[in-house]
Order: sequence, then structure tokens, then C-alpha cells
Amino acid sequence: MSAPAGPSMISLEQLTKSYPGQVEAAVQSLDLEVPEGEIVVLVGPSGCGKTTTMKMINRIIEPTSGVIRLQGEDVTHSPADQLRRRMGYVIQQIGLFPHLTIEDNVAVVPRLLKWSGDRTRARVDELLDLVGMDPSVYRSRYPKELSGGQRQRIGVARALAADPPVMLMDEPFGAVDPIAREKLQNEFLRLQEELRKTIVFVTHDIDEAIKMGDRIAVLREHSVVAQYDTPERILSDPADAFVAEFIGAGASLKRLGLARVRDYPYADWPVAAISDGPQAALAALDRSDETSLLLLDDQRRPLRWVQRQDLQAAGASLDRAGMAVRAMVEPTATLAGALDAMVSSRTGGVVVVDGRGGFLGTVDMGVIMKAAEDMRAAAQDSARSGGPLMRAASGT
Amino acid sequence: MTAGTLTADSGRPVDPVDPDDPLSRQTAKAGGGARPWFQLLGLPVVLALSLVACLVYVQTAPLDSIEARLLDPGGLLSATLRHLQLVGVSTVVVVALAVPLGILATRPAARRIVPFVVGLGNVAQGVPSLGVLVLFAVLYGIGFWPVIVALVLYAFLPILRNTIVGLQQVDPFVVESARGMGMSSGAVLRRIELPLAVPVILAGVRTAAVINVGTATIATLTNAGGLGDVIYQGITLNRTSAIVVGSVLAGVLALLIDYLGGLLEQALRPQGL
Ligand SMILES: Nc1ncnc2c1ncn2[C@@H]1O[C@H](COP(=O)(O)OP(=O)(O)OP(=O)(O)O)[C@@H](O)[C@H]1O
Ligand SMILES: [Mg+2]
Repeated sequence: MSAPAGPSMISLEQLTKSYPGQVEAAVQSLDLEVPEGEIVVLVGPSGCGKTTTMKMINRIIEPTSGVIRLQGEDVTHSPADQLRRRMGYVIQQIGLFPHLTIEDNVAVVPRLLKWSGDRTRARVDELLDLVGMDPSVYRSRYPKELSGGQRQRIGVARALAADPPVMLMDEPFGAVDPIAREKLQNEFLRLQEELRKTIVFVTHDIDEAIKMGDRIAVLREHSVVAQYDTPERILSDPADAFVAEFIGAGASLKRLGLARVRDYPYADWPVAAISDGPQAALAALDRSDETSLLLLDDQRRPLRWVQRQDLQAAGASLDRAGMAVRAMVEPTATLAGALDAMVSSRTGGVVVVDGRGGFLGTVDMGVIMKAAEDMRAAAQDSARSGGPLMRAASGT
Repeated sequence: MTAGTLTADSGRPVDPVDPDDPLSRQTAKAGGGARPWFQLLGLPVVLALSLVACLVYVQTAPLDSIEARLLDPGGLLSATLRHLQLVGVSTVVVVALAVPLGILATRPAARRIVPFVVGLGNVAQGVPSLGVLVLFAVLYGIGFWPVIVALVLYAFLPILRNTIVGLQQVDPFVVESARGMGMSSGAVLRRIELPLAVPVILAGVRTAAVINVGTATIATLTNAGGLGDVIYQGITLNRTSAIVVGSVLAGVLALLIDYLGGLLEQALRPQGL
């Protein structure tokens, strides 16, 4: 993720907005490069100018001064309507047209661009499929006949309609409940894997920023960039007290949410196959420093945790000894997920299994502590060596 | 006017059944599908019966010679048509003036003049219609057009106000997302704002037309005809029968216009609202 930034899709240069009748500028001399194909999240406290900044990109709000470039081209004064047809636009309130069917809502920009009827119709169906809504069911419904989450999906589909290279999204998942939001976020990230749009995403929720962003711009008052960096580096190495405070407590925990189990060496817990018998198991336990051992079945699937006294008391049989394994994760799980499984099963470790349930290794507190340390060190290193995305000069 | 409440439960077709709303399901079931035509026909039947009653009275009651002249069926018919003409022409003129003004007043550049414009409309309506009419009669002489001017002034406010309110109540985020998708401001007005404002604007037109039916009775004062002739002569000549028949005809006309306006509102209301 901290790969060098690609060519800029959007460049903001000394962008400033002063609302009439206000002494201080809402956005003050902002410089920002948005690399092609990435999600850049603007995050910051309420009223810091995130929305104003985003709306200047498609000139819903006209900047007072400064330059906006789209793929290098100065679009600060180009015709706004044409410019906007090249940018998808999703707002928290969605703003679906209540008197138009879902099909007509999604078809607005294709029709503005004078696509043929057949092409538009095919595109609408494709998009409804893409956002997981059956076209035959929803095509001719009206917005009021949809749930909040469904409307939000249509909002996204509508913005994607003419396949614009850029998407502007202002708190797009802000109006739905946390469960639906989580789902929409995951769906959107999956979509983005394929679509590779350049996205400017506004939120005031740092957790959403960390989850959605390839890069995060933490803004303070007047849209001054406090730090512009990858989520990892913002978490590991906040530029100043403002950023640190904005991340809030639990930066390490949040970082664990970015790391995958498969990327770290597993812990070295003793294992034994149940068919080898108690003596072999006891021997394996003796060879290690641990106090318990993991029993596997014939297909090497985890069965139970057993301790020394279980093995000694059980006599000849291992069939019932020990405690069933409850915490299991797959290698794609995050370390935060592993920790959660560990805590909620009240055991000292989680078992990592492959797709068929076969034993791969275990993750325990030691692994997680070490991973957290490594991540902090790595992020600090890369911050010190400086990437293409230096921290914004502080004190601007 | 009770006209509003009358159409409120007679002119509205059954809403599509909302499965989540037990009330709507109940009413739909109670109506058993018979509700639309039953409700739609209710008012016209009552109005037709009133007309027939008038006609029968005029034909059969012992009338003196003055009454016979005032209540001549041919004369009544032409007075009614004349009345309808006054209302129709004035309503068309006032719509043609007040709706564009309302649209202009809600454009961003002109938003600040809204209170001023509405204030003018208020003044126009606050002035007694009779006074306006007399003023215009003095200025421009008697006849058809002074009455139209008076009626237009009088009906201006409801339509202007409803146009402004109708456009203002359109969700600003709907407008913003339309602009954000690259629709020109003209296209947003035509395809988003006006369709969404139609129900409110039409309600204003309907109110204005109904008000005009009543107000148009003063046309008789400038010799412009209409049902006012029948009523005012009934008053001056002390013939209650003429007053009653003239008033009933005007009332029927008002209710009929309100009813038709209701149907029009239903027909033009965009789906999905
Ligand atoms: N139309 C406007 N006229 C005047 N001032 C405005 C206008 N819109 C925003 N502002 C001011 O500009 C500043 C930045 O507002 P903006 O909406 O960009 O903040 P934001 O970061 O999006 O906040 P939030 O997280 O609450 O949405 C605020 O102080 C706000 O009061
Ligand atoms: Mg905002």
C-alpha cells in the first residue's frame, strides 16, 4: 500500500474558498495530489472544510482562488456541466430523484451523454447487478420503495453509470445503521478492486478512513493538511499531537485491523495426531516449553487442547481428553480478528486453519505483540526515509 | 369554502397498497375495489341533482313576470357560460403571469426578492376586490377586461405563493445531486424541480380558480355579465328565487371546477411521490 503514488488524477493547487460574509476561509491554500486508481480519504473534525474541499473538485462550490487539475488539464474554469459528467458524485443524503424509477435515476448521465437506448438499458442492468440488486425486481421501482441501504447502492450505481474515472463521495455510508454500513463498505471495496476508480472519499470517522483509504488526508481547521499518508503510517507515526488525538486511543488495535494473519510467523505450539496415542503426545509436550498441546484428527484438523495432567490421567485413550478448540481463523483474517477470537473464546491462542479446516499453525499473544512492534518499527522507518508522500510540512 | 374537504375524500384514487401499512390494507379491503368509481361519481351526482332541482323549480314554480325574466333557462345558461369564460380567461392569464414569476423568484440570483414579491401579492389580495374593480372601471371604463384584471390581481397570490413554496420544498440535495451529475440549471428546473412542484402549484391554481368563481359575480358591476347579473338583480328587485338559483349555479360551478382540478392534480402528480 505504501507503493509510490501513481500519476496524479486530481491536483489541487493553492485551492481556497472564502464564503461571502465570513472572515476566515473555509479552505485555505490547500495543495493535494490524488493518485490515479486510489481511494483518498479526507478526514477531520466537523466543520474543518472536508465537504467544501470535495465540492470544489466538481465545482458545485466555486473556488475563490487556486487551480484544479484533472489528469493534468486545468479545469478551474472549464464548463462545469461537462466536467461533472466525468465525475461520479455520491452524497450522504443520496438525492435520488423521487419521481423517477430506479432505471431512470441510474440512466440520467448516460442520457445526458446521449447514449443509445439499448446501450443505456444494458448499462443500467449491469450496474444494478454490480451493486447486488436484481434488475428485474428493482428496475421499475421508485426510490421510496427501497430501504436506506438499497437507496445508497443505487446512489453508487447512478454515480458509476457513465463509467467516470473519478468518484467524489461525501459520507456516502453515513445515513445507514452500523451493520448495513459495514456491509456497504465491504461491497464497495470489492467493487473498487475491479473498477480501480480514483476516489475522493469524505468522512469524519477515522475508523472508516482507515478501512477505506489507500491514503488518508487528516485535515484540521480551514482544510489544512495535518498529515497525508497511508493508513499504516498515520497510525504508526502520527505527524503531530492533533493527528494523534484524532486517531484517538487504540491506534495499535486499529493497526492490527490492517494486518493479516498469513503475513506473520505462526507460534510454535506442540501438536500430536490423536492416532499416535498419549505417549507420543506426552513426548511432544515434553519437547516444548508450553503447558498444553493441540490434538489433531487423521485429516490434521484441530480437535482439542490437552494439558499434561489430561494426558497422564487419560490412560490409554485420547478420545475425551482436554478442551474443544473453539477459536479458529483462516489466514486471510486480520490480527484484530484473531485477537477478538482469542479473547472471546477465553483461550491463550487461536488455531489457524486452511479452507478445508486443516491445521496450519497457531497465533498467540506473543505473535500479536511481535507483529504490533514490527509494524510500528517498519512504519517509522518508512516515514523517516520519506516516500513520494511526505508528511505535510507542519505548522502551515 | 368547503370544496377542499369535499374533494379530499371524493377525488383521490386509492393509493397502491402498502404491505407494511395495515391501515392502507384495511381501507383497500373495505373499499373492495368499488371505492374509486363510487367516490369519483359521488360529487358529480350531487351536483347534477342540484342542477336538476333548480331546473325543475324554474320550470314548474309559479313565477311572476320579473322572476320569469330573471330565471329564463336560456338566459341562465348564457350567464353561466359567461361566468365560466370570466373564470377561465382570468385563470389562464394569472397562471401565465404568476407561475413564471414564482419560478424567477426562486432562482438563486433572485432569491433575496422573494419576500418582496410575496409582499406585493399579499397587498394585491388584501385590497378588496370590489375596490379594485371600481378603480379599474374608473380608469379603463366598463366591460370585460377590467374584470379580468381584478380577478387576476385577486388570484395572483395563491398561485405565486404555491409556485414558490412548491419549488422551495423540493429537497435541496435532490437538486444538488442533479447538478452534480452535470444537468444544466434549465434541465434541473424542467426535469426535476417543476415535476416535483407540480402538485403544490396545481393546488394553488385550483384554489385560485375556485376563488375566482365567487369573485367573478362582481363582474355585473361593470356590465360584464355572468351569474352576478342574476344574483344582484335578485337582490335589487327583491326576488329571493333569483338569488337562490344564481347562488346555487355559482356554487355548483365552484364545486365542479374544484372537482375537475382535483382530477387534474391526480393525473399530473408524478408517480413515485
Ligand atoms: N454555504 C456556506 N456558507 C457559509 N459558510 C459555509 C457554507 N458551507 C460551509 N460553511 C462553513 O465552512 C466551514 C467548512 O464547512 P464544511 O461543510 O466544508 O465542513 P465539513 O468538514 O464537511 O464538516 P462536517 O464533518 O460537519 O460535514 C464551516 O465552518 C462551515 O460553517
Ligand atoms: Mg461535510
